[in-house]
Amino acid sequence: MTHRVLRRDVLAGMAAIFALPVPPSRASSSTVHEVTITSFRFEPETITVHAGDVIRWINKDLAPHTATAEDFGWDTEEIPTDQAVEIKVKPGMDTDYFCAFHPHMKGHIMLE
Amino acid sequence: MKSLLTGFALAAALIAGPAKAQDVADLNDLEFAHAAYTADVIDIRYAHLALAISSNPDIHEFANTMIRDHTAVNEAAFALLEKLGADAQDNWFSQALNEGAEKVIDDFSQLRGNAFDKAYAANELAYHQTVNDLVENAMIPNIDNDEVRALFEQGLEIFKAHEMHAEMMVKALEE
Repeated sequence: MTHRVLRRDVLAGMAAIFALPVPPSRASSSTVHEVTITSFRFEPETITVHAGDVIRWINKDLAPHTATAEDFGWDTEEIPTDQAVEIKVKPGMDTDYFCAFHPHMKGHIMLE
Repeated sequence: MKSLLTGFALAAALIAGPAKAQDVADLNDLEFAHAAYTADVIDIRYAHLALAISSNPDIHEFANTMIRDHTAVNEAAFALLEKLGADAQDNWFSQALNEGAEKVIDDFSQLRGNAFDKAYAANELAYHQTVNDLVENAMIPNIDNDEVRALFEQGLEIFKAHEMHAEMMVKALEE
């Protein structure tokens, strides 16, 4: 358990290299895939994307959530209620993710 | 009409006094709101104790989630009460919750290291199980106001996620 969290801390800075959260206005020309967070689930749980696309997570729950790579290589950071955060898809990015606040919440990205 | 609940056991270590589900079910909406707010604040207090005593990063992560989520629920509750022009009403059950919490905090303050972590995790699991049962079976079926009931249902969803998270934490600490 400890190893996982420490590893997360060490790798947190890698989000800046591999998959930065991007402001919606800068992502307007990309294909955008929406994932709604509702009732402590990522909907859809699996999405199919291409490098250069944008994934937008919208939090419809009362509780704040994150979308965080299992290897901690990318992270939306906190997504408050009724707000959205986008991440640009990069080749080689980790495709399994979870909510760092509620680790039973899992999602998957099919990168083609 | 208040629903009749049988076979409901409250954890004596968590809630002081001879509280019964039927007694809780007899509270009014504003008393339910006060009890829920009190339960949120208690779990935030437990979380701050954990942040102060534990050095386990996973305990810290869980405690920060408790502070974040319970604060969000209470902010939503305050906003709804303001919209309704009502104030939450203190009651015997809120007082029993606080009394139980004082004992838990006193006892846990004496613990250190793994003993604290295990006690905190086990208490979080038991606390959420107990409160979730009450919210689901004694409170929600007896709330009169639709908006208040909807907020309780949202809160229950969050607290059930916490219960699941606490169960994972308890198991991890046993490994």
